[in-house]
Amino acid sequence: MTGARSVLPKLAWHTANLGLPVIFVLAPILSFILISVWTLDHGHVIARFTLANYAAFLTDGGYVSVYGTTVLLSLEVTILNTALASAVALFIFRRAVRIRFLLLMIFVLPLFMSYIIKVYSIRGILGQRGLFNEGLLALGLIGQPIGALLFSRTAIFLTLAILYLPYAVLPIYLALDRIPANYPAASVDLGGRTRDELLHIVAPLAMPGIVVAAVFTFVLTFGDFVTPQMVGGTEGFTFGRIVFSQFGLALNWPLGSAFAVILLGTALMAVALAGLFLRKEHIR
Amino acid sequence: MPTMAGRAQRADDVARPGPAGSSPASLRPQGAPADAPNSGSERLLPLLHVENVTKRYGATTVLHDVDLRVADNEFLTILGPSGSGKTTILRIIGGFESIDRGRLMFDGRDLAHVPINRRPFNTVFQDYALFHHMSVRKNVGYGLRVRGTPRQDIARRVAEVLATVGLDEFGDRYPAQLSGGQRQRVALARAIVCEPRLILLDEPLAALDVNLRAQMQRFLKDLQRRLGIAFVFITHDQEEAIVLSDRIVVVRDGRVEQDGTPHEVYHRPRTSFVANFLGENNLIDGKVSGVDGGMVRVETPLGMFAGTASGPVSVGRPVLLAVRPEHIAAAPGGANEIAGTVTDIRFLGPTATLDVSPTTAPRLTIKLRQLGGAVAMAPGERVTVSWSPADTAVIAQGPTEPGRAGSAPP
Repeated sequence: MTGARSVLPKLAWHTANLGLPVIFVLAPILSFILISVWTLDHGHVIARFTLANYAAFLTDGGYVSVYGTTVLLSLEVTILNTALASAVALFIFRRAVRIRFLLLMIFVLPLFMSYIIKVYSIRGILGQRGLFNEGLLALGLIGQPIGALLFSRTAIFLTLAILYLPYAVLPIYLALDRIPANYPAASVDLGGRTRDELLHIVAPLAMPGIVVAAVFTFVLTFGDFVTPQMVGGTEGFTFGRIVFSQFGLALNWPLGSAFAVILLGTALMAVALAGLFLRKEHIR
Repeated sequence: MPTMAGRAQRADDVARPGPAGSSPASLRPQGAPADAPNSGSERLLPLLHVENVTKRYGATTVLHDVDLRVADNEFLTILGPSGSGKTTILRIIGGFESIDRGRLMFDGRDLAHVPINRRPFNTVFQDYALFHHMSVRKNVGYGLRVRGTPRQDIARRVAEVLATVGLDEFGDRYPAQLSGGQRQRVALARAIVCEPRLILLDEPLAALDVNLRAQMQRFLKDLQRRLGIAFVFITHDQEEAIVLSDRIVVVRDGRVEQDGTPHEVYHRPRTSFVANFLGENNLIDGKVSGVDGGMVRVETPLGMFAGTASGPVSVGRPVLLAVRPEHIAAAPGGANEIAGTVTDIRFLGPTATLDVSPTTAPRLTIKLRQLGGAVAMAPGERVTVSWSPADTAVIAQGPTEPGRAGSAPP
């Protein structure tokens, strides 16, 4: 009998492993799923079951269309950033081994800075009297400042793309970095050109990284509410902002929770799609 | 460990005082007599000629004037310890390294401006470099696919080649689902599918266990004969080199030490390094006291011995005598004799080794190897050992480096 003595430490170990995620991740999620089916009555949350919050998403004041435009916006950023990040990662990968890490650090350096500072900097660049407009004016390329650069959907699009690019570069680069050094050598030895190497070796092996980059970008941009608020103005009403406003301004926690569940569901769908896509990939 | 028991075959080597040395390029067709006319005009053009190649990395010179030729259909092994530059030679042939001086000639054509993917060679990499995301079929067909070969031709050719390496059933597997030996065969199949004139093999057997390695050696040799493609094989394993090769080029510190048939490098080492690196040897320092044709008399601290010169020697020249342990008999009778005391006997199964310390120089040890494994002697016993001059290689030492002379072009 290995006995109770060996069971106890095991139990403690499993509790630590599973308990912490349960307390800090699962419990909050479960709690807002629960609140999303409760009722708001004169400013008070009552534990009475209702699906009205979800119904409101489908019927009330253009929530669905905001959801739709947000999905579209996030997809646009995802497509742009995945393409850009692939190019950046490939650029780094093609450099000499000893400068690769340095280059990678330069590209992901913005990750170490405060989000708010980055958004303000971008505002400074895109504004009416910002760096971009002033530059174009000075060069005489435009007669008057372009107003649409800030407080518009374009502004959100650009800002999100800039902010989240490092999150896409990193996984793609890591996938490239795992390609054995002798694969390109074998490809060229067998008569392959650079094009063949990219098509048959680099692209398929980078695919898991590219998919992860796309999921990261989509999920992060879809849920973001700070950027749309800071650079979007009145036009920039995204789904993330709606969720935030229900909690922070309208104090309608059940409705906000229902929207949060929809946001979570959307993110999970993106992850599931990626999983389906990657299932075909061969694991070594 | 010496594995060759070539006493009978050596008879013809003995008559010639080192023909291997004077014709290192060894371009004669296989099977032709070694001392066939070899004048410049009648010489066959080598398939590949690495011509006096020097390679530097910064201030370090890793290859000094390396000159080697590969004949059509030849199994050539570049043998050397790690760091000898053998892999660099292979990478230069493959096109992965540049040359600082010298030329690389293929079929009479300079390869300087021929990029890797246009060279009619293929490489079997040390760790195979099989694409793990492609099936065996895709891996093998890769070379054809990038050449734009029609799909059905690829399928047919891949099936043929897989049959050649005995992997007909494995086309749909992935590299991860194969054993080491099978991966090795896939790498070979991938290299031969485009029908190259030459295959470069970078220590392909190093990763295999002993039994599998012996099996793969037979397979490789057989495959090379069947295909009629020249193989340039790299190894640090002298036994493997002897078993597989038509010709061995021994390299050390970026220089060619000796270039010859396995017989020549084993029985007629031209440098002390070669004598030591290939199998075991008893080495005795001495000085030439007389030359009579191929026969050389050498004065040593252990007495006067007769030997056969591997290269040009003259009276007074310092030399090294090399005698294989299996060529020394534990009985008097040969032209070369030493009296001594048995100090150790080790039973090794099929053979036994004896250590004998000479009476005149008790700190030296003469090693003997006896077939059959049974030795009717005990440590401490007095014994006279002997061997024949034909089994004694005389290696010139001193000012000129014999190994380099041997590799110089005519």
